[in-house]
Amino acid sequence: MKLSSIRHVRGFDVARPISIGMMLGIMLPLVLLPLLSIFVFGFGKGPGVFWSSLVAPEAVFALKLSMVTSFWATAFNVLFGLFAAYVLSRYDFWGRNAVIVTISLPTAIPTAVAGFALLLLWGKYGMIGRYFSENQQIMFTPYAIILANIFVTFPLAFGVIKPVFDTMSRSLEEASATIGATRLQTFWHVTLPSLRGAIVSGALLTFARAVGEFGSTILVSGNLAGRTQTAPLYIFAKFNEGQIEAANAIAIVLALLSFVIFSVLFFARDWLEFAQEA
Amino acid sequence: MIAKMALAPERDPHVSWAPEREQPSGVAASVRGVSKRFKKSRVLEDVSFDVAEGESLVLLGASGSGKTTILRIIAGLEQPDSGRVILHGKDVTDLPARERGVGVIFQAYALFPRMTVEKNIAYGLKIRHRPRKERRETVDRLIKLVQLDQHREKYPSQLSGGQQQRVAIARTLAYKPQVLLFDEPFGALDAQTRVHLRREIRALLRQVKVPSVFITHDQEEALELGDRIAVLNEGRLEQIGTPDDVYNHPASEFVATFLGAANLLLGVATAGFVEIGTAKLPAEKETKRFRDGQSVKLVFRPEDVCVSQDANLPEGCRRLTNGVIEEVNFVGAYERLTVRLDLTHRKGDTDALYEVTINTPQRMTGVPIMVTRPKPEANALRYKTGDRVAIGLTSFSVLPNYTLARQR
Repeated sequence: MKLSSIRHVRGFDVARPISIGMMLGIMLPLVLLPLLSIFVFGFGKGPGVFWSSLVAPEAVFALKLSMVTSFWATAFNVLFGLFAAYVLSRYDFWGRNAVIVTISLPTAIPTAVAGFALLLLWGKYGMIGRYFSENQQIMFTPYAIILANIFVTFPLAFGVIKPVFDTMSRSLEEASATIGATRLQTFWHVTLPSLRGAIVSGALLTFARAVGEFGSTILVSGNLAGRTQTAPLYIFAKFNEGQIEAANAIAIVLALLSFVIFSVLFFARDWLEFAQEA
Repeated sequence: MIAKMALAPERDPHVSWAPEREQPSGVAASVRGVSKRFKKSRVLEDVSFDVAEGESLVLLGASGSGKTTILRIIAGLEQPDSGRVILHGKDVTDLPARERGVGVIFQAYALFPRMTVEKNIAYGLKIRHRPRKERRETVDRLIKLVQLDQHREKYPSQLSGGQQQRVAIARTLAYKPQVLLFDEPFGALDAQTRVHLRREIRALLRQVKVPSVFITHDQEEALELGDRIAVLNEGRLEQIGTPDDVYNHPASEFVATFLGAANLLLGVATAGFVEIGTAKLPAEKETKRFRDGQSVKLVFRPEDVCVSQDANLPEGCRRLTNGVIEEVNFVGAYERLTVRLDLTHRKGDTDALYEVTINTPQRMTGVPIMVTRPKPEANALRYKTGDRVAIGLTSFSVLPNYTLARQR
């Protein structure tokens, strides 16, 4: 029988269930089952074990540290991304394109390389770090984690905000100027509202990426439990110690967090994209 | 659909949207010798004009004539290389846009998409930190004036083009602009809406008495909107005058052909006449400024031509020559004739003065001109192709014939 002839059997498109089935069959072991297994194993020994693993002081500390460092990295990168996007779309200068490419570069750099590079710069014997005294060192402190997060998530907010700036009609800002607004008033009342969606989605992307950061963090933080151990590092450490339940509880929290962020980005898309109408 | 807008009668006549000026001088805005280059190309060359108090001036020109640049220079969005901009007696050339107090109605209106109609209109007062009560009262009055009562809570994306334009005008009137600048205000609209809105704006401007500058490339729009029209060509002001002036007495060939249709014949000025080949057109007044034998252009509009089957042309119509009807077209409101004039060189020459090839196999001589007749006249006396007629002119202009347009 020829392949083309099995496509339709009495008006029924056979290709449809086969294609859908194949797609799900491939996705299942690759994506869906791993995620499912986190939850199956996490609650495997009952909710009591899950809960006690979750509220263990080291676990709570790791989660808090991840949230706080990611928050500051996000705050910095959104503000800087906004500023850089403004400068790069409003002013033309020599080397502008080179700067745009450079800002996006961290996306392509392996995170371990990023962490290593930060050590070489800020570490005790690094190019800048060597001029700092012993108790001023920032490597292997929470500040190092923020620095690593900033580096790794650097292009994300910028990448979302810049295109909105580029497509925004200049006449809006010109109109505001002729009406009598200062640059600051124009930015606050006219430009910023149009960027709201881009800022929110840029922040969420940055935060999601920062919370999960592992490669650079493990190099610059020192992975000291209760001091510089973030949630992903905690999962790795507990797993190595054979404490599967402890690792699993935190894994569930991180997975749920990413689901939430993803849903906001996905379902609030209409609201976020409203910004680009103008 | 655009709601019909019979303009609301001015509710409180003491409210004026016109700018508060220090001393009434009669001149609202003045552009003095403005020139501008972009990189290597010259965009404006020594352009000067005044806009009187309450007047509406139309800058008419093709794209690339520099009209948008003038507007942006008045608004302060662009700096002139030389020349001054004076608003109500004050030199504002070095002031930034925000300190000039002009109202610009941008082509796409540039309403703030995240603000309601009310907030858009109140914006100018808000950034000036005016008290809430004053803002609310001004917005209320303006919303009534532009008849958007039902739309005050809406966002610009929920409004029609015409409504958006009214919001844009109200937004500028709120801070009593020195002058209103309209950048191709009807460019983005379909033909029908355009005509409708044009009348609306004209009526609105009459009411608020704010001096306005329009820019457009549409001659019909210019004639209807302008108290005066300034015709721009390649960065130079060709002519400025009332619609009647500019249309009936064009100062240059460009003005004649850009504003409406015009026929153009080359001739020579001689003692009270314009001679075109063998034809002699009496033009005592029109040729006064030319020396005998000077080469001139005779410019006349299709509707200023009178046609007669016998030699008797109507009163006030000066005879030019004879011709043959070549084509008769009905184009709605009027009839359009193409008439080929028998114009040959003066005695001694055998060649025709003009040689024109038309859609016939054989080469035809003579000059084709365009003639239009109003419907009643066309119905009363029908012409057909091949009829011989006498041709006269009721009105025409005589312009010097420079071989190069730049030779002045």
